[in-house]
Amino acid sequence: MARYAMVLDTRRCVGCHSCTVACKVHNELPVDMIYNCVTTVGPTGVYPDLHMTHLPLLCMHCATSPCVDTCPTCASQQREDGVVFVDDKKCVGCQACIMACPYGARVMNHETGAVQKCDFCKDRVDAGLNPHCVNTCHQKARIFGDLDDETSEVHRLVHGEKAVRLLEELNTEPHAFYIY
Amino acid sequence: MLAVDFFFAGMGGGMLVLAGMIELFIGEARTSFLGNLLGPVFMGVGCGFLVLELGRPFQSWRVFMNPKAILTAGAWIMSLAMVAGLAYAAFGIDPRWFGSESFRWQQDQYPVRKLLSVVCVITGLVVATYPGVLLARHKGRPFWVGPGLIPLFLLSSLATGSAAHFLSGFLIAPEALSPVWASLPSLAGGLLFFQLVLWLGYIYVKRTGATAAEAASAQKWIDGEHAGSFRYGFLFAGTLLPLILLLQPLPALKAAGAVLVLLGGVVMRCLVVHSGRDRTWLPGEQKYRGRLPHGDEAFLKASWNR
Repeated sequence: MARYAMVLDTRRCVGCHSCTVACKVHNELPVDMIYNCVTTVGPTGVYPDLHMTHLPLLCMHCATSPCVDTCPTCASQQREDGVVFVDDKKCVGCQACIMACPYGARVMNHETGAVQKCDFCKDRVDAGLNPHCVNTCHQKARIFGDLDDETSEVHRLVHGEKAVRLLEELNTEPHAFYIY
Repeated sequence: MLAVDFFFAGMGGGMLVLAGMIELFIGEARTSFLGNLLGPVFMGVGCGFLVLELGRPFQSWRVFMNPKAILTAGAWIMSLAMVAGLAYAAFGIDPRWFGSESFRWQQDQYPVRKLLSVVCVITGLVVATYPGVLLARHKGRPFWVGPGLIPLFLLSSLATGSAAHFLSGFLIAPEALSPVWASLPSLAGGLLFFQLVLWLGYIYVKRTGATAAEAASAQKWIDGEHAGSFRYGFLFAGTLLPLILLLQPLPALKAAGAVLVLLGGVVMRCLVVHSGRDRTWLPGEQKYRGRLPHGDEAFLKASWNR
């Protein structure tokens, strides 16, 4: 069984927000809902040594996901391939998962009354395609693949580069890796 | 809404614990029937507020479906507590209210009454402690994380429970007159004092805490956005003033103190829930989210079809 993960190469990201837009358009999200945003840190330093980093954020699809543990209706689920998703039919909108997620990756849809989140475009992934945000990124800053497949680029980057995970101290084992 | 739910559920849980403990260790009918009834009713009110807050309130039954989730455990235990509390309160119904000499189900039910008391104590304790346990598990909420909130919620629930029991006794006096009801203000005062000491310790530990996020969240209680409500709403009006009033000999002053204890319970829960809005922010996230539209901007309301 595959274990899907995403690598985000901050050296390549230029902060164009194309991934944010592609995600919003394809998932038909209302104006106040964003699954994956791109934050900007900096500029830091003193001229001429200035640095600015763009940080694409999304659901980390944690191996030990607190959102799945806390859901009282079993609406938040995790597939064997690691994809965390919300079964809309079961969600009652209690927002316990929103409170539990340390990454702020879940958003309430006030029109439907349910919580929604990034699911790595699981329907596309099942069809052998990449998520929309990965397809859209013209800088190839987002790399998606099977972490357990030793021939995949994701496996090579995670094990070969200096890849870090956000808030790793919380022991949620996120499956979004950042290269800087 | 979440804070109001925590308040009513905690107060109801505290009332159940007190009713059960007094029944088991002091004797029957030492607490007001109204207090015994209001305990489970308050829990129901708390549940009602929680249901109203759901995005899909008509599907609220689904929260009973995941046995591994702490919310599901809380829902089941609160339901059990309400049933046990109402059944226990039924022993206090005066048959004369219904023009009857006696009710058969109230006679010779010593074991049932004691068993219900035990269930009330256990489930009431769980309900009184449960919000603290629930919030303490949130790894990404620096003000909540850690076991410190558990005793704080328990103490507050017991203090508000004893204050509510005392106020109930004014409206419907306990069946058997005893010094127990008159001692409830002193009990509430003692609990308030311990709560005060624990809160000061909690803020201090968080302020000098393990992470910068924890320290920043506690600093808001000292001189930030929560400082005014904490100082004047909780510490002064909800703790120190009722402490003084509860120790006065006049019953009216004690009653005023009990009302303020309830006020302090509401303020405390509102502050704690509000503090949970501060997440462990990711780099650049606060700045990014601060720039997002709130929905009332002119460009969102403008007609773009002209």
